[in-house]
Amino acid sequence: MARLCRAAIIASVLALTQICSDANAQECEAKVGVVGPMSGGAALWGLSARNGVEIAAAEFNQAGGLPMGEKRCKVVVVSYDSKYSAEGAAAAANNLASQGVNVIVGPVGSPEATGIKPVAERNKQVTINSSFAKDAIGPQWPLAFHAVAGPSAWAKPVVKMAKEKFDIKSIVVVAPNDQGGTDTATVAVDTYRGMGIDAKEEYYQRGTTNFAPIVARIMRSDPTAIDVCTAPPGDAATLVKQLLEAGFKGTFGRLGGVATDEIVRAAGGIETLGNFYWLESVNVEPAHLEAIVAVQKSLTQTPANPAVVAIFAASGRLALKAISSAGTSSDGVKVAQELRNLSIVDPWLGKGDWTGMPSFGIRQEFGFPVGMGLIVKGKNLGVSPVSVVGQ
Amino acid sequence: METAISAGIIGIGLGAQYALLSLGFTLIYGILGVINFSHGGFYMLGGYVAFAVVSKLGLPYPVAVIAATLVCAGLGALFELLVLERHIDDHLATMMLTMGLYLVMGTVLVLAFGTEPVEFHSPVSGSWRSGRIYVPYANLVVLCACLAAIAGVYALLYKSNLGRALRALADDRPVATALGLPPKILFPAAFGVATGLAGFTGALVTPILSLHPHIGDSILTISFMIVILGGLGSVVGAAVAAFVVGLVEAYSSIYLGGSIGALTLFLLVLITLVVRPTGLFGRQVRAA
Repeated sequence: MARLCRAAIIASVLALTQICSDANAQECEAKVGVVGPMSGGAALWGLSARNGVEIAAAEFNQAGGLPMGEKRCKVVVVSYDSKYSAEGAAAAANNLASQGVNVIVGPVGSPEATGIKPVAERNKQVTINSSFAKDAIGPQWPLAFHAVAGPSAWAKPVVKMAKEKFDIKSIVVVAPNDQGGTDTATVAVDTYRGMGIDAKEEYYQRGTTNFAPIVARIMRSDPTAIDVCTAPPGDAATLVKQLLEAGFKGTFGRLGGVATDEIVRAAGGIETLGNFYWLESVNVEPAHLEAIVAVQKSLTQTPANPAVVAIFAASGRLALKAISSAGTSSDGVKVAQELRNLSIVDPWLGKGDWTGMPSFGIRQEFGFPVGMGLIVKGKNLGVSPVSVVGQ
Repeated sequence: METAISAGIIGIGLGAQYALLSLGFTLIYGILGVINFSHGGFYMLGGYVAFAVVSKLGLPYPVAVIAATLVCAGLGALFELLVLERHIDDHLATMMLTMGLYLVMGTVLVLAFGTEPVEFHSPVSGSWRSGRIYVPYANLVVLCACLAAIAGVYALLYKSNLGRALRALADDRPVATALGLPPKILFPAAFGVATGLAGFTGALVTPILSLHPHIGDSILTISFMIVILGGLGSVVGAAVAAFVVGLVEAYSSIYLGGSIGALTLFLLVLITLVVRPTGLFGRQVRAA
């Protein structure tokens, strides 16, 4: 009887120990933050960013968790709506720091990147932004990484292709009159001029709803092409609509964030649009695009752009691999060191390289190939890859 | 010369749109003393109701415009009756409540229609052209609607019994109530007329420009600026200020650029308020 009692007690203790260690494994979390505009005119980009990181997290969770040392931890995504503003992104960094999140995928836009960098640096948080700002990253922010190649990397090859395809002689580049617009517009204008194209800049106040006066001003200069640059999708769509109404018959371009669907819809179809070239921040094969859409739909019903989802899924995967190698998600400096040792390769985006030295003075940019889309005389010719390595 | 004429035509077109927007805003302030921060929301809602009626129900566009007007009017009247009326004398409370309504409307529209602009085109296409001068026919429709709305609101306020009752309540509510005028019926009616006008504007203008769930922010800003310039509560002032703003915006944007055009507008408002703090047609009211 006494032996039986002793065995029962030992078995109970062993069982309790097992339960406790299981509970510890469930309590093991690797937190990663997502920051971007999830409301307002640029919400499509922010929501797509969040979806991308959630896909990356789900991949690891479905495989049993993120390996961190001897444990496998659940990846938890913490998102914050930065409303496409510097103060929103700065608040995001502090809010996420208070929740113990020191690896942030995002933010998306230039004003946000400007706001988050100094705060994240102070908090020792890694950030991976996708902005097209001239100072998206830099040696003064060693924990800031760049998710996509910037205008300085892709502008020349893309403009060269556009000029050859459409015989562009003169162009007006239109953008909002804040950093989100001016940083990319100035690079674009310099590049067009370097290619022998007569280029002008036109800026407008963000929040403009009726572009009729700007359209009239643009039409006065009689350009053969108009580049709607980094105007938010809603603005770009209205601008194109009103330009077509005013009788513009030339080529449209967009060397900025994705907005092709909105522009085609506003124009009333690709036949009406005529000639259009646009930048895809990454080049995603059609087969992978279908996979992205399917995976995306299985996770969430929120609308998203597949290319932006792919960018942030890639950044999410790289961030999580770095966390796994570092064995921690709370030490931003350690995670950044591991991130720099990773190869730039992604199942959806292909092979890239570490770039950024000529443009930013620091080699912390994920140089995945970009894409250039073409609609020629109302026919969609699809997206062709453009390498940025060596640019 | 062609540019100057084009600028004038664009300015009048802008003015018509702004007048339609600001009439409702100033009406609510003039009658109820409420600054309606949900004005942009009703504009958006009007656009989306019209879009839904046309694209989902397949009904003609004029029916969609009427439906948008009635839905916004009904929702506005209900909101005033059930929510605002309890706090009508508390300016801070009414501001917060209308702002809250705007946020709720924006979120509901995002959930229902998504964040991207929807494909909503005006059934009136084509433009009148002469050289480089052009006037889209859709803009002419908006201009005619604007003139009709200004005439209608003026007739309602100054030529009808309802208007007289509303003005009496606005001037002195206790006395008007004591004389038998029912604020609980008249105030929701006034609010409904104003929000109906915003919905009507949304249904007319969004097919010309763009329809997405974030257009309300800038609508509120421009409406506010125009009614301040015209004089809070003055229907005539709002209409005149709208065309002044439209013309200044058009000429300055075309000749000086988009950024300076916006600056010019704000400078105009600033100078006007320094010289005439009550606005162009506002009245200075002294306490007894």
